[in-house]
Amino acid sequence: MPEQQIVITIDDEGAITAKTSGFKGESCLEALEELLELEGVVSNVKKTDEYRQQQSVQQVRVQKIKRT
Amino acid sequence: MSAVIKTTTPFVIETVLFDALERVGAEPKLVSSAILHGISQRNQVQAGDILTNRSDYNGRQFFRRQGERWVFLHDSDEYSTRIVGGLADRRYTPISRFLSELSLAYDAAYNQHLETLAEQERLRLVEERKARVEATRKQAIEKAKAQGYSVKEGRNTLGQIQLVLTRTV
Repeated sequence: MPEQQIVITIDDEGAITAKTSGFKGESCLEALEELLELEGVVSNVKKTDEYRQQQSVQQVRVQKIKRT
Repeated sequence: MSAVIKTTTPFVIETVLFDALERVGAEPKLVSSAILHGISQRNQVQAGDILTNRSDYNGRQFFRRQGERWVFLHDSDEYSTRIVGGLADRRYTPISRFLSELSLAYDAAYNQHLETLAEQERLRLVEERKARVEATRKQAIEKAKAQGYSVKEGRNTLGQIQLVLTRTV
């Protein structure tokens, strides 16, 4: 069975970098959105060559800093 | 007739004043209601006053908060002055000189007070940042598990938290 993988890195400030593999097309972004609530906090999206293929790999950097 | 006067540094912060009084060897003592009845002198002291080891005709010279400031109360004629308490062998210094020395000590204590506040603020921000990272980690793991991912947690070469989420479809 195909495997989907997301590698999430949380830096010292609480910002997230996420890299996906094994997703089809836009579904990788949808999966990240469901997981990390990305609306309004993504500072950079880098689409890889694989993104246009059936399987996609994407990197998304997220700035999730809670304002107090 | 003309005159030039110079006031002391406004003594505003109780802890800083206390520190400054200790620095000049005035052995400050906060008057509590518990010890109030044991103090006998012409000047009526109140709970909250800060006694010094300086004494005059009226008794202990002391500080009292008046509005925003602490003011020094003493016999204006400086009659029958002496040092009492643990440093009784010290020579009594006139009020003007005492207040000048205390002003310098207060300034030094105030600078230290600011440094302490800055350090406390720095530590608060560090703790806030740690809590933010932990909250992000916890939320990501909880959501991943709820969506059927298996979660492996580790650290990357920079020491940052790394979560590897895997699921089969």
